[in-house]
Amino acid sequence: MTKKIAFWIFLLGTLSSAVVFLALTWDTHKQVAVLSNADKIDDRVVAGKRAFEKYNCNDCHTILGFGAYYGPDLTRVIQRIGDEGVRFRIKSPELAFANSWRKMPNVHASDAEIADMVAFFKWVNEINNNDWPPQDSKKRLSRGEQAMVASVGVSPGAAVFQSKGCMNCHALHGTGGTFGPALDTVGRRKTTEEIEHYVKDPKSVNPKAMMPPQKELTDRELEEVAKFLSNLK
Amino acid sequence: MEYRSQKIAYWYFAAALPLFVLQIFLGLYLAYSYTWTVPQSIVDVFPFATARAMHTNLLVLWMLLGFMGGTYYIVPEETKSEIYSEKLAWFQLIALLATGVVALVGFFFGWTQGRPLLEIPRPLDLVVVVGALVFLFNVAMTMIKANRWTAIQGTLLGGLVFLALLYLFGIPFYRNEVIDWYYWWWVIHLWVEGAWELVTAAIFAFVLMKMTGVERHVVEKWLYVEIGLFLFTGIAGTGHHYYWIGAPRYWLWVGGIFSALEPVPIILMLIDTMMHVKKREAKILNPLTWTYAVGCAIYHFIGAGVWGFLHTLPQINYYTHGSQVTVSHGHLAFFGAYALLNLMTFYYAMPKIKGIEVYDDRRGKFGFWTMCVAMMLMGLFFGVAGVLQSYIERVLGLGFMTAQSYMRLWMGIVFFCGFAFLAGLLTTVTDLLTLRPAKARA
Repeated sequence: MTKKIAFWIFLLGTLSSAVVFLALTWDTHKQVAVLSNADKIDDRVVAGKRAFEKYNCNDCHTILGFGAYYGPDLTRVIQRIGDEGVRFRIKSPELAFANSWRKMPNVHASDAEIADMVAFFKWVNEINNNDWPPQDSKKRLSRGEQAMVASVGVSPGAAVFQSKGCMNCHALHGTGGTFGPALDTVGRRKTTEEIEHYVKDPKSVNPKAMMPPQKELTDRELEEVAKFLSNLK
Repeated sequence: MEYRSQKIAYWYFAAALPLFVLQIFLGLYLAYSYTWTVPQSIVDVFPFATARAMHTNLLVLWMLLGFMGGTYYIVPEETKSEIYSEKLAWFQLIALLATGVVALVGFFFGWTQGRPLLEIPRPLDLVVVVGALVFLFNVAMTMIKANRWTAIQGTLLGGLVFLALLYLFGIPFYRNEVIDWYYWWWVIHLWVEGAWELVTAAIFAFVLMKMTGVERHVVEKWLYVEIGLFLFTGIAGTGHHYYWIGAPRYWLWVGGIFSALEPVPIILMLIDTMMHVKKREAKILNPLTWTYAVGCAIYHFIGAGVWGFLHTLPQINYYTHGSQVTVSHGHLAFFGAYALLNLMTFYYAMPKIKGIEVYDDRRGKFGFWTMCVAMMLMGLFFGVAGVLQSYIERVLGLGFMTAQSYMRLWMGIVFFCGFAFLAGLLTTVTDLLTLRPAKARA
């Protein structure tokens, strides 16, 4: 190999990679608008991002997996602990983490800034990022449900049924609420798919239904609970 | 030392070393915070975030000072002329140091851009840009005036221009968090796996050539192939950071494939170093400098090549992304590729500037081995913590703090390894600043 050939390896290697990279960058810009719901970035979300940066939150927490690893990832923080959970932790970390061996500083953010940050996290919560992080994936059961499956030995669907408050209205074997019908033999009348559909949106099946749509169930939870109920015959 | 203006490099190196020491002290605070409880009253005043901003920015600052010093040392010998303006070189050193000190003090009072590694506030960014332009002007003018172009000069200048250009992408405020991270990596990834690799490859080739007496055309041929492969794999390899940020799905493929190839140029660098060792024509006068060069090639391969490869595939990265596995890789790679390279440059140039032909390397050897072993252990224990975190938090879904409580032990061990590293570093810094000639050996 001569030095001239070596130079061409350098030039072609660099240029080909750069061309691929720049072309994909151009395409990424177009797609990110959809994947990140860019149309929902309003002034509050931007103000929230600024507050998030002002208090250097990202040098303890990761968001979309980047930043420091001292605190939990914030990508799905709204899904995990809700608006109020976020607000309380930023406002009064000394109370929120009184019993924790790891502390969070009180940055003395104003109420308006905290509200903006909540708006920012809500927007981040909806970014379509290939279902990361795995612990907050909607393809899995919640921690409480997993614990029930592991410790009591119930099926995943039964764990969902017990832990998601279904029994506040419905009864099984005489235990539970009476506001809705007992479900001991629901499997005789409905298939798994029908139950899944009904739980997601009761009014679409029966316009007079009193049951609220169960929006907070993850896909996996919905599937498991429907499987469980359809077996009750 | 053949040219008077090479002496300026000494002050860049001397400024870089104390910053490196300070970086380690902050690192100890970080490891302590991971293991034991820092009370609320202290956390409110000096949070982990501030210490982390200082730890990482000190790293960037001392390494850039090292690169710049290295450049000022190499360019006169390569161009066979004095630096265009020594005054500008001095101005730029002072400007960079002043910016660094203001930034560090500013972090303490919460003056920050608030983006990891790019915490330097925007007004100070402008000073950095001016400093970088002065530096580039000075180096480019020296090369242009001399008009004796070599591949080493070209690579060095190209790398430095690339480095400065990429910094610009870190300055604006981005409204969309996804786009923000997209360009954040243009600075971080394309620096460490692009521009910095060019600069180090050029410095490494220069030192290798001078020390081994291997002919220039052989060294420069390798240099072209290596930087070609570095950029081929590195540029599109940026995609391995785009898996989970809300970018299109094809990045899983592009990032996975290109970054799986990233170890290739590093292996090539390792092979080429070993070949030069075999075919060397000059006697190695200072074995420690040589140990640093070979150590750097091997450590670079382990820390950046192997450790990077381990968690770069999307199927693995899904669970390890944003965990202590990244920290393990970061420490081994930065130390192996850039800390050792800078220290090699210091050990090569500082004795020459002081007019010492063969230096006494007993303390230096102790420093080298202590640092290398301590950092390897830190990397391994960060890695253990990272695997625990990936499994407990991400696979089992048991929650962040549950995972952290299992990691405490390992972070505590890292803390103690940090003291060993500090001992090695203090020895090295003292040695470099008080080099003396070796006594004639019998």
